[in-house]
Amino acid sequence: MQPLDTVVTAETPEGILLELRPAGLSARFYAFLLDWLLRLMILYLLSTFLVFLRGLGAGLLLIVFFALEWFYPVAFELRRAGATPGKQVFGLKVVMDNGLPITPAASFTRNLLRTADFLPFGYGFAILCLLLRRDCKRLGDLAAATVVVHESRVSRRIALSEIAPVIPARPLAPVDQAAVIALAARAPTLTAERLDELAALAASVSGDHGRAGTDVTRRVLGVAQWLLGRRT
Amino acid sequence: MTTPLQFEQQYEREWAELEHALEQIRRHRISKGAEAEVHGERVAALYRRACEHLAIARARAYPAFLLDRLEQLTATAHQAIYHRPEFGVAALSRLALVEFPHRVRENAAYVWTAAAVFLLPAVVVGCLVYSRPELILSVVSAETAVSFDEMYARGAESIGRRRTADTDWMMFGFYIRNNVGIAFQCFAAGLFAGVGSLFFLAANGAFGGAVAGYLTARGLSSTFYSFVVTHSAFELTAIILAGAAGLRIGHALLAPGRRRRLQSLVDAAREMSVIVYGVTAMLFIAAAVEAFWSSAGWLPAAVKYSVAAVCWASVLGYFTFQGRRAS
Repeated sequence: MQPLDTVVTAETPEGILLELRPAGLSARFYAFLLDWLLRLMILYLLSTFLVFLRGLGAGLLLIVFFALEWFYPVAFELRRAGATPGKQVFGLKVVMDNGLPITPAASFTRNLLRTADFLPFGYGFAILCLLLRRDCKRLGDLAAATVVVHESRVSRRIALSEIAPVIPARPLAPVDQAAVIALAARAPTLTAERLDELAALAASVSGDHGRAGTDVTRRVLGVAQWLLGRRT
Repeated sequence: MTTPLQFEQQYEREWAELEHALEQIRRHRISKGAEAEVHGERVAALYRRACEHLAIARARAYPAFLLDRLEQLTATAHQAIYHRPEFGVAALSRLALVEFPHRVRENAAYVWTAAAVFLLPAVVVGCLVYSRPELILSVVSAETAVSFDEMYARGAESIGRRRTADTDWMMFGFYIRNNVGIAFQCFAAGLFAGVGSLFFLAANGAFGGAVAGYLTARGLSSTFYSFVVTHSAFELTAIILAGAAGLRIGHALLAPGRRRRLQSLVDAAREMSVIVYGVTAMLFIAAAVEAFWSSAGWLPAAVKYSVAAVCWASVLGYFTFQGRRAS
């Protein structure tokens, strides 16, 4: 079964698969927009001061403009966060596609190739390439072997400890166990009605097949508690 | 089967120890002063254990909070263990003294091709415009042509500028932005099977040739050539090298050999990054020379030509001989 997700995996020498979650067009667009505004602001602030220096000021301003244009992303990507401020705000990060931190050569390459991504206009090739690929890479990412990923976040632990564990009514395969436990994990974020609906779909695990309601929900969540390892 | 909670309880101490060690390593890397009290062997062992635990947890479809924690733990450890420092004075000097000229020699075929694609249109268009100066109007507007006349007029205090009010510093900024932009364009456009690099090389060559031909025909050759001859040693070479790097990645895409096409591109781009570093440095030198030396109108032409000869000889010598023994 092909999972309905955009996760790409990178295998480590230890034989485990690291999961990378590539960032799509919208997240990267917002990050880009924010970076663009930030650069504009820096230039604006600097220009108000550098005007007083006449020719030297104009020269410095052009150099700063140049540096911001080409090296703003490189400077930030090589720092610990591995992302420009815009990307950091949206929880994005640039890594090598084997899961390691980005190398200077790769950062340099992916940001210089922006010139190619920008063609024919308005980042046309970048957008096309990003939309066509599962791992959401633009041309620069392809050549540099990098990928822009969402920073991983830790899922919540399962609360609901006031619910007593219930022994499952039938043996459950590992995937089924995972589904029941995932439902329990999501329970606090769902409305009571929706939780009842979903629990009704899984009601066979607690022997309540075909029934629905708050009691059934409690029993299904109880099965989740039992599967987690609670016995009392 | 071990339940998730039992599993967590069983290995909690090991994971916590690894987490603590990784935190120490992170702090150590941020502030070099703080001595990390971490034993590499122990961390590696703990990391391998955590990898095993993650594999088991995945096979048993343990809940997300356990998997996520293990995934994050192993990913962080992976980054810490395989982290490769690439900075440092030693790496930088090796780059300048050995790797850059060596890489250029390795890719001599591309460099010669790029040079031909740049220089041929320059010579052809230059001769054409020299014989019929009005042809300059098909390259630039009449207004720009007039400004060329002004910039290289005899007796100007500073050459290559429209107004004497433009200071050296202002032009330095302008040259950096403009020239580095052109070179990066020549490189990046190589991603389109090399065609883009060919185009930008030929276009820039033709433009330069046209300007040279026009000014020579106007009888301004003495100021013009004494202006360009010094910094062109760095600038033209750098643009040709950037174009050569672009051709290399374009060729890697077209003819990947026994590698997969994408892998071939990645390898070529990584190799060429050395040349792009070098090109950037050369363009900074070129911009400084152009702004502060070439433009000085009071320097006698003989001095400028001798300095230019030294510059050209050292650039060509650098790429021919530098780092041959070490590589």
